[in-house]
Amino acid sequence: MTKPKRTTSTRYVWWRRGRQVVQALALILFLYLLLNTTWRNVANLPHDIFFRLDPLAGVATMLASRRWIASLALGGLTLALALLAGRAWCGWLCPLGTLLDWVPSRRQKGTASAAKSPWRYGKYLVLLLVLGGALLGSLALIVLDPITLLFRAVTGAILPGLGEIANALQKWGYQFAWARPAINWFSQSGAGLVLGEQDLYLPNLTLLAALGGVLALNAIRPRFWCRSVCPLGGLLGLFASLARLRHNVDEQACIECGRCATVCPTAAIDPQTGYQADMAECVDCLDCAAECPTAAIAFRAQSAQSRQAEAQPATTAPGLNRRQFLVGVSLVGVSAVLVRFGQRALRAAKDTLDKWLRPPGTDTARLEERCIRCGACVQVCPTGLIQPNPSPDGEGLWTPTLVMRDAYCDYGCNLCGEACPTGAIPELVLAKKQETPLGVAVIDPARCLAWDHGQYCIVCEEMCPIPDKAIKIVDHKQPPGAGLPPVPLPEVTPDMCIGCGICEYQCPVEGEAAIQVLPRDPAT
Amino acid sequence: MAVVRNGSPTEMVHRAIKALGGIERFVKPGDDVIIKPNLCSVVRPYEYAVYTNPEVVGALTALAVGAGAKRVRVMDYPFGPQGNKAYDQSGITEAVTKAGGQTEVMTGIKFQKVAIPDGRDLSEWPVYLDIVEADVVIDVPIAKHHNLARLTLGMKNLMGTVQNRNQLHRNLGQRIADITSLVRPTLTVVDAVRILMDHGPTGGNLDDVREANTIIASPDIVAADSYAATLFGLTGADVPAAAAGAKMGLGTTDLDAIKIAELSL
Repeated sequence: MTKPKRTTSTRYVWWRRGRQVVQALALILFLYLLLNTTWRNVANLPHDIFFRLDPLAGVATMLASRRWIASLALGGLTLALALLAGRAWCGWLCPLGTLLDWVPSRRQKGTASAAKSPWRYGKYLVLLLVLGGALLGSLALIVLDPITLLFRAVTGAILPGLGEIANALQKWGYQFAWARPAINWFSQSGAGLVLGEQDLYLPNLTLLAALGGVLALNAIRPRFWCRSVCPLGGLLGLFASLARLRHNVDEQACIECGRCATVCPTAAIDPQTGYQADMAECVDCLDCAAECPTAAIAFRAQSAQSRQAEAQPATTAPGLNRRQFLVGVSLVGVSAVLVRFGQRALRAAKDTLDKWLRPPGTDTARLEERCIRCGACVQVCPTGLIQPNPSPDGEGLWTPTLVMRDAYCDYGCNLCGEACPTGAIPELVLAKKQETPLGVAVIDPARCLAWDHGQYCIVCEEMCPIPDKAIKIVDHKQPPGAGLPPVPLPEVTPDMCIGCGICEYQCPVEGEAAIQVLPRDPAT
Repeated sequence: MAVVRNGSPTEMVHRAIKALGGIERFVKPGDDVIIKPNLCSVVRPYEYAVYTNPEVVGALTALAVGAGAKRVRVMDYPFGPQGNKAYDQSGITEAVTKAGGQTEVMTGIKFQKVAIPDGRDLSEWPVYLDIVEADVVIDVPIAKHHNLARLTLGMKNLMGTVQNRNQLHRNLGQRIADITSLVRPTLTVVDAVRILMDHGPTGGNLDDVREANTIIASPDIVAADSYAATLFGLTGADVPAAAAGAKMGLGTTDLDAIKIAELSL
């Protein structure tokens, strides 16, 4: 036998470089589209393309809502890609996967024990829970989808957090005359204007914590999230195990140095089975092929059967398949029980959920089965009214809710419906949206400056955007408080009020407003 | 004071300024100019007469640029939507950019507490610093109905230059006059092309809109407001802010006491 040539594959070194470039570009595109999910650009760009390509979001939403959602059918492309080329989505395109590649992990990537780690089945369990929940009509667990997880954290916490910091710095710096030209320039620049509009809704720090937690899993193993938790990775893994493009080791050339197994970020390569990769784990990063000192590794088209037949004698210890089967069955059992329990708890929580105000045209029931919690509506809302629901009681977690006192619904805006990739918030033409009630404004006469203090203040009436004014002036009546002078008093006409909340936003009373938008009684 | 009727908005602005002695009387070469329209709430098309006519703002911008101003900025702090969304949707961005000016988003950082030496009710208030520091402020309100202020005109429009304005509603007329005494616009141009007779300041009914087709221009803000009040069948004395302003010597509500150049095109 001739001694194998000691040289790495230039071709795969280039391919790996290409993969890294694609990863960076995909992440940049993801952030670019996120930043342009705004009133100015949401209609001009395919802002939701990542959500639409996400087959987990598509399958789960269609299961939960029991309807065909054409806009989410693009996810089929990603599944087809997995059938052709394995988990290339994870290794090349997923923005969260890219971030995880960039977060350093001091732990070694692949080892023989990691390649056999039972943790890898975790992602199938998570997948099962997500889809099982969806089958029972609840999308609650879709919060574990990697694409929405990242988008939500950026729009809900990272951008507003940066905005708060930038605003505080500018405000502080403004006292110094020499700093003013720079601050003036920055505050009118593109970045300054975007950051200037941001207000951090404090409960959104949980979004940041969720993202931080995912990144921190790298401390266990690199890409631990992708290996063991990610439900989208699990879904793609199922298809990828049948992939045509497969990892292939030239046994003649292999010197069994083990380098490939060590560099594999998902521990897909088991040194004990001839250094072949488990295609359900492999993310096509090509590190192994690029690093192999004898260029023994190639990725080429092969049918799954021929590959398995080849591998069979070396890979499978007797009984392993049965064990896998048993593990699978018990996972199904466990998840069915969990989901069942979850459902019961959720139904109990539902009553409390109806206290939340929702974006125009939707309600808790519709959100439950169609909202993927992506945060596109949060990002597009020009006033910051729409925020992820911090509800700790499960079902409503991170569905869009309206946080009134700090913002209001812009009467001339209907962008949340336009931005929503799943139709959880319906697309309403502006005229329709302008008569769709979000709730109803109610005056608290005990706190109102006019009603209780006899002061001139009809800010709420002034602000009301309804053409004939849903808040009217009861002309110069004596307010109920004894001995007060007659002043104009505001009064809500509930039938006309659409609950946009600009009255609550502008109410000059300190603390809680004296006029508040409350949910409408569903009976009326 | 000059009052021009029945022309295109741009033409009426040109003729009114000319009648006052030309833009050079107000804007000197090298001046830093701020034009303050009333954008109020840009949620409907212009026809509803809720915000200042963009053509009027554009014409004034072009005049100021032509007079050699160092820079001409147009700004307002509308109550919804804010920033560039309001500028773009109202057509202000386009008109101003075309005329050689620029829009500025009024960000929170520049509102600083400023003393109001002539104030009768307010002694200090957070004001947008650039408004105080600019060489020339041109106040360009649209004339509208307003329940508490009676009408919103030039003086009321200056509320868009201060923060915490909802705290001003108690004793609104005097407080608006106090703020006027601080800002003291060089020139007030009331856009009465389309005016809102009822359900102001936000409007929404075309039935409430009247085509008055008038531009009123004057260095005396109280007089300009007083003339505008007559379009609503009122006098300056009926508008609390104007009445308070006259008492403070910021101008006159007595239209017989001043020279008014009126022309119809």
